[in-house]
Formats: sequence, C-alpha cells, structure tokens
Amino acid sequence: MPPDNDYTNKELMAAFVASEIADGEAVSVGASLPVCRAGILLAHLTHAPNLKVQISFTITNLRNVEVLPAFEFITDWRAGRWAEFLYNHDIGPDLYKRRRQAIFFIGGLQIDAYGNSNLIGIGSDFHHLKMRGPGGVGTASMGTNIGRYYLYTNAHNKQTLTERLDWRSCFGFGDGGADARTRLHLPGGGPRYCITPLCIFDFEETSKRMRLKSLHPGVTLEQVLDHTGFKPVVPDHVPTTPGPTPEQLRLLHERIDTDGVLRRP
Amino acid sequence: MTDGKRKDVIIGEDEAAGWIRDGMVISIGGFLNSSHPMPIIRAIIRNGIKNLTIVGAASAGLETDLLIGAGCAKTVIAPMISGESLAPIGPSFRYFAQRGAIEVVELDEHMYYQGLRAAAELMPSLPWRGGIGTDYAKINPRLKEFDDPVTGERLLAVAAINIDIALIHAAAADPFGNVQHIGTGFGDRAHHRAADRTIVTVDKVIANEEVRANPYRTSIAGVDAVVRAPYGSHPFASPGEYLEDAAHIREYVAAASARLKSGDNGPFDEYLQKYIVEPKNHAAYLTRIGFERILSLYEL
Repeated sequence: MPPDNDYTNKELMAAFVASEIADGEAVSVGASLPVCRAGILLAHLTHAPNLKVQISFTITNLRNVEVLPAFEFITDWRAGRWAEFLYNHDIGPDLYKRRRQAIFFIGGLQIDAYGNSNLIGIGSDFHHLKMRGPGGVGTASMGTNIGRYYLYTNAHNKQTLTERLDWRSCFGFGDGGADARTRLHLPGGGPRYCITPLCIFDFEETSKRMRLKSLHPGVTLEQVLDHTGFKPVVPDHVPTTPGPTPEQLRLLHERIDTDGVLRRP
Repeated sequence: MTDGKRKDVIIGEDEAAGWIRDGMVISIGGFLNSSHPMPIIRAIIRNGIKNLTIVGAASAGLETDLLIGAGCAKTVIAPMISGESLAPIGPSFRYFAQRGAIEVVELDEHMYYQGLRAAAELMPSLPWRGGIGTDYAKINPRLKEFDDPVTGERLLAVAAINIDIALIHAAAADPFGNVQHIGTGFGDRAHHRAADRTIVTVDKVIANEEVRANPYRTSIAGVDAVVRAPYGSHPFASPGEYLEDAAHIREYVAAASARLKSGDNGPFDEYLQKYIVEPKNHAAYLTRIGFERILSLYEL
C-alpha cells in the first residue's frame, strides 16, 4: 500500500468527482467508469451520508457497508445483497421528475468544445462508418433531462476532444450561447464540467464554450493545448486541481478500491 | 374444443425455435452479460433463419452480436451492443454495420422504451424529448420531430416497436406460463408487453403451488411458451443461479474479432461449428461446454 501523500492521477480525479457531489443527491454508479464510481462512493462515505446510490439495478444507501468490492459487470446480481430497492430497467423514462437533483456521467468517442458528445461512431457516412461505436445508451435522454451531468474521458487527445463531432448523440450546449438549452426547452442543466486525465474544463457563461478550470499537478497549459482538438477559453489564472486528502486516500485504499484499480499504471 | 382442463404451455426447444420464421421481428431479453435465452438463439442460427429484425435489450449483449455474426439479422434495434469489459463494442455488430450489411435503427434507451410502450398501448408512436438537438432524427426514420400541439415545444415522435415474438430467459416459471425472475428482470416486461407472443426459457420449471405461495414474485403472467432449459443463459449469467462464463465469452470475442480485424471468417465459423452446428440441442451444447466449466460458475 502506498503512503498517504502518494496518490495517482485517477485517485485525484476520483477526489474531484467526490467534491462535486452534495449530500442527498441521487447518482448512478456504472461499471465501466471506475474513477467516477470511486468518486461517488468517496463522497458517500464522507460528506454525503444520504446519497441515493443507484448501482447494478438497485437503489440503496451504502454508508455502512465496510468494503465495497467493484463489480466487473453492471449486471452483477450480487449487488442485490445491499439493495433497498430493485428497479426494472424499463421504468427509466418515468424517473426524470425525481432526477431533477440527480447527476450522471457521460463519456464519448468524441466530445466537442460545447460539451456535445458522440457514441454513434466515427465517419461521415452513417451506413458505412469507419468505426461503429457502441451506440448512445441512455445519454441523449439523460443529457436532455437530468439535473446536471459531467463529461468524462480517459483519452485526452485531439481525436476525442474535437472541434466538430461526426455525429451528435448527446446535446451539451449545441452550437453554444447562454440560451443554447433553454431555447430548445431542455429541462436538464447540461454538462457542468469535463473531467480528463490532464485537467478540468468548465463552460464559459455566455458562449458555453469549454474553459480551462484547473490543471492537474505537473500538467502544463501547453500540454493541454497540444492535446486538445479545439481551442478552449483560457483564463489569466488557472489553478491546480487539488489532490485527495489522507483520509480520502485511506477510504479509497481500504473500503472503495481494495483491488487497486485506480493505482494501476 | 376443450377437455375442461387447464393447458400447460411447456414446449421443447425445437418447437419453440420453430415459431421463429424468416423476416420476423424478435426481441431478446436480459441485459449485457446476463439473462439471454441461448438455446433458442442457437436454434435460430442452426435453422438458418434470415432477415430478422432483432430488438435487443436496452443494452444488448453478445447474444445479439452472435445472431448478427451468423447472418440472421437484417435490422437491429438496440441503444447499445456490448460485452462490457470483454468487448466494449460487439465485434460482429461493428463488422456488419461498418459494411452496411445490416440496418441499424439508432436510438437511445428511453426513446427505445417509448417505442416499446407505444406498441403495448396500441399507439402508432409516443412523444419524447430526449434527443432534441441531436442527430438521432436525421439517421433514424422511425423518429420524427414535431411541435407539441399543447405548448409548441419541439419533441420527437418515436414510432412503435411492435414485436412478433419476445424471447426471454428467467429463473423459473410454472407450467402455465407464470414467470418468476430472480433479480429485476431488466426490461423483459416491456418486451413482453410489446409482443404478440412470448417464449421464456427457464432454469427450472416450478409447481403452480410454488407460484401461488408467493404471487408477489411473479414478474410476467401468462406467457405463451415455457422452455425448460437449465443453464439456459450460458455463457451469460442468470441472476441467483450462476455467473457469466467469462472465459467462454472471451473465446467468442476472439473469434468474432478475428473477422473484424482481418476479414478472416475461419475462427468465427469454427466457433459456430463447435458450439452451435454440431451440438444439435441444449443438452449436447452443455456436454460440449463440460460439467467442470458449468459447475465452476458458482464461485461467489
């Protein structure tokens, strides 16, 4: 086990996710984004004891679970051991009124400067895509309706963070502008931040274009600009993303990420 | 004509598979690496059924990918096709879609459930807002944007997804088609409600008395056919019964990925031959998989 002042980039990103979650909110824990999973559970075990955790088709409270083993598959029915409620997946469309305070994480094959994202595929001919993506899953509807969401990517490069999407499967702020979402009567608040292995972006208030919010420790502005396919708004002063506290690291190591997924290179 | 007795709906896997004909719309229940009616899937492939429209689960797994890879599908309706960490994007889905060899009906999961709900309600379509401002309506002719007649807000009309036969796997059913899932049953109920007929494979058939002892647990009442199929979701999990066989799923992924990467049909054809063509029924398939492997899927 590493010393408490020694943390990985993924542990830092998980701590950032935790800092974004308020007590009493509802949040979905997926299987395929281990950083987001860890961040959500970290918030739950610290400042958010009343978090409504949606995990593997259950909704429950995990505050008193000693160790939270990670599941490789979202369908893992052993999550049922913690369940207070099991839900049928087809009730999803009926949950949005109660998801006005909920948060969600959305990834993408491509993410553009206005926070729109693409899971459909790469290539201009829909019937002959160069790379067929997995499909949009629930992102179009979640992105439209849910209180707020976070864009997340493990691949900070020009192919992923691109000025133009090949296909828009989830609406962030469209072509930009403060009224980009209200003009279309979209109930949800849209993306709040975009979290990458190099930095955090937020969205500039009037243009809704991505703006550098903080750089992770050791990352330079040039590095971010060199690896980003669009020109983000860069403020005069860009702070450093804060790292996890020793107590957060202890919880990650002993209760949330006991397999060390976030510590793998 | 009736003899006055209640009729059971248990049928054999071959008879069940015989319901499925070229060009039908079928749905496959479950979710990702869990709960797919695999004896029927394999029989569809053995029977050489073509031109199916396949309604996969909201997150379809590699059972849908297998049907595509075996050439059974003309059209696929699913918001995602994936084996999660074992294959983030179904390799046969990728191979056929990228060549334009299947029609992909692109929609997100709540558009998908609105389409199923429209079918269940005998409606031509239902409105939905998710996806306004995206490209979905440009690439999916079953989605049409319109202005809500009450408020004028821009919405999507989602065309009904009508299913000829829904195929579901569950833990148990009684002989009269009362199904009891363990776990949530994912979106299986929505498939059943949107379908003309439903076939359910079950890990065990239970007595009607057992259903009556706990009717709260009945998830779907009165399906049209029950097929007794212990380990019937293999290589995928069946909640409360067994875990997914990740090693076998990797074997499939390797075979399907070989074709995607190099156009080599050999490994995929070998997989079909070994696990679907030669074993003529579910029992022969399980024999080929081997008792040792099957029993290892209980390691909790």
